[in-house]
Amino acid sequence: MAGKIRIYRQRIRAVTTIKKSTRAMELVAASRIRKAQERSQAATPYARELTRAVSALATFSHVDHPLTTERPEASRAAVLIIASDRGLAGAYSSNVIREGERLTELLRSEGKEVRPYLCGRKAASYYRFRRRDVAEEWTGFSDKPAYSDAKAVGETLIEAFLAGSEGGGVDEIHIVYTRFVSMMAQRPEVIRLMPLEVVEGEAPPASEEVLPLYEFEPSAADVLDALLPRYVENRIYHCMLQAAASELAARQRAMKSATDNAEELIQTLTRQANQARQAEITQEISEIVGGASALAEATAGSE
Amino acid sequence: MTATVTEKTAEESAAGIGRVARVIGTVVDVEFPAGEVPDIYNALRTEVSIMGQSQVLTLEVAQHLGDNVVRAVSLQPTDGLVRGQEVRDTGSPISVPVGEVAKGHVWNAVGECLNLKDGEQLEITERWPIHRSAPAFDQLEGKTEMLVTGIKVIDLLTPYVQGGKIGLFGGAGVGKTVLIQEMIIRVARNFGGTSVFAGVGERTREGNDLILEFEEGNVLGDTAMVFGQMDEPPGTRLRVGLAGLTMAEYFRDVQKQDVLLFIDNIFRFTQAGAEVSTLLGRMPSAVGYQPNLADEMGILQERITSTRGHSITSMQAVYVPADDYTDPAPATAFTHFDATTELSRNLAAQAIYPAVDPLTSTSRILDPRYIAQEHYDTAIRVKQILQRNQELQDIIAILGIDELPEEDKITVARARRIQRFLSQNTFAATQFTGVEGSFVPLADTIEAFKKICEGEYDHVAEQAFYSVGGLDDVERKWAEIQKEL
Repeated sequence: MAGKIRIYRQRIRAVTTIKKSTRAMELVAASRIRKAQERSQAATPYARELTRAVSALATFSHVDHPLTTERPEASRAAVLIIASDRGLAGAYSSNVIREGERLTELLRSEGKEVRPYLCGRKAASYYRFRRRDVAEEWTGFSDKPAYSDAKAVGETLIEAFLAGSEGGGVDEIHIVYTRFVSMMAQRPEVIRLMPLEVVEGEAPPASEEVLPLYEFEPSAADVLDALLPRYVENRIYHCMLQAAASELAARQRAMKSATDNAEELIQTLTRQANQARQAEITQEISEIVGGASALAEATAGSE
Repeated sequence: MTATVTEKTAEESAAGIGRVARVIGTVVDVEFPAGEVPDIYNALRTEVSIMGQSQVLTLEVAQHLGDNVVRAVSLQPTDGLVRGQEVRDTGSPISVPVGEVAKGHVWNAVGECLNLKDGEQLEITERWPIHRSAPAFDQLEGKTEMLVTGIKVIDLLTPYVQGGKIGLFGGAGVGKTVLIQEMIIRVARNFGGTSVFAGVGERTREGNDLILEFEEGNVLGDTAMVFGQMDEPPGTRLRVGLAGLTMAEYFRDVQKQDVLLFIDNIFRFTQAGAEVSTLLGRMPSAVGYQPNLADEMGILQERITSTRGHSITSMQAVYVPADDYTDPAPATAFTHFDATTELSRNLAAQAIYPAVDPLTSTSRILDPRYIAQEHYDTAIRVKQILQRNQELQDIIAILGIDELPEEDKITVARARRIQRFLSQNTFAATQFTGVEGSFVPLADTIEAFKKICEGEYDHVAEQAFYSVGGLDDVERKWAEIQKEL
């Protein structure tokens, strides 16, 4: 019995330590969500203006830019999966990876070869564990992405896209990320980044809004050339910010339930430990009493 | 020692007559005339009449108290015994019939036949005293060979030793008796030698089931059964194991046979000892057990052994009070076994039968010196996976399975398959499940677990592994499950 108590106490201690760290992580995540949301909101006006400009351009000029043209014989697609660097965020990473798997499956059934581009260590380790080829991976910024990170990713993707499948690149680019709906809900989502569907921007210009008449200098094509990569990077950046906020929210929720679970476990273990302790005490008392009365009987018998 | 006493009673039978001095429950003090005090372990007889029926009481001398008084333990209820009553010393210990006559019959601890048909007479030619010494050290069998039972979990993780001692540990209601019965079906039915069953302090109904079981298997003629069930006084429960063992020893030593000895339940032997211990005036020791607990167990266990060429393979069920393995009774029995199969409540609660705990059960011969290297490696691998799974359980409980690294997720998935695959359809449970038992050859068991450990069956759903025999059954079940989907 004594052994049992020791084991229970040891486990209680271990679980208490775990609970402390999950509680701390919960609080950290909670305080950082707000910041992540603010960042996401702060990026919105720029994104809106950029979308407007690109929409205007696409509407008024009828240039065929490589970034917007649908390639009829698309044979290779890039899938950018935005997952987290660290775990302890519940099913956050697995959900987005699973969504990526589903997309991969779909693209394969359309006869397209899929090249994975990965953001976040969790996605990278998932692919590495299954010994799959990865086109490129970026890690280290999942919960606090900077614009430069999005730029690096965007440049690589655009380069691959411009090369086309004949040049060893890709014909389509898809992004799988987690959209931050609310504190309680984050949904994995797939968007097709390229070829661009320009109007599907975050804040589409209202239809009644009359677009001013633009003159493009030096030419519409040149402006598109300059603008489109920016737009792509911005889209990626937006996804990353959404993903970061989602990750933090998922982590906060996961850690909260972990803390609750730990508390419950501690409660059960404490009960068991108390029971074991009480059993031990009872046993010792009965041994002492039994021994004493046996002694008394023995001495009484001999007299 | 015995011989001299026999001589004395033979020449003057009146000499060994004493009188009851005190009765405390089943413990009786008897005063003898000076110089005629019986030896320890001698059987005493007296007659009591209750409600017009006279009955012979057998007592066994346990202590000499001095002043010509002996303290004896009664093997029957002492109702009706009065002070001053005459008690006769038989001059020898309790003895039981041995040899051919013992087979096919049911006996009690004092060697009376319990299942005589009307008018049937037994010619008992030889009786052996139940107290004997263990075989000498140089007589012991040195060879070690594995006994294949066809139960996967046992063959793989706690291989039984031919001519060895096997302990089945378990708390109340986790399946000890069923497993013992399963062993009887698997081993005794296809066994050329003689089987002896000692029922110690368990349910009387189970004894009845057993007789039918043996009859069905057509092995009743090769089986001797000795019963002292839970309705008997502690004196009987303390001696019935020895009575069964003595019969087994005769088959081994005189008839030179291989013997199977089943004892259900050895804990009751210890318990009976504890019940009389304080009445005998010994100071209770840890947890209220008798102070000579280890000695008592040792005397019994050391006799259950294989001598050169002739084996006693014994399977003993050991009840574990309150599932506490540190309790002195199971802990003392533990050291005597070659293979210990521990039944776990946790597994029984998950309906995984036989509920053998794969991590705590072990065997002396789970060692590459005795079994094939492949067998050993597979067993260790299985244990590693299950151990890792157990370590991860707390993390899963707190953080959820999604937080585990990829390797651990696979480990957990395999561990769950292994856990289910360790269950098996048994013959003893046929009447409950309606599914016949299965016998899995050792080679198949090893190969199957090896494949599961290597992940060849990761695609098969967990429930396909539940309560099946070999891998063929798994595949059959899996095909069925897929069809249903």
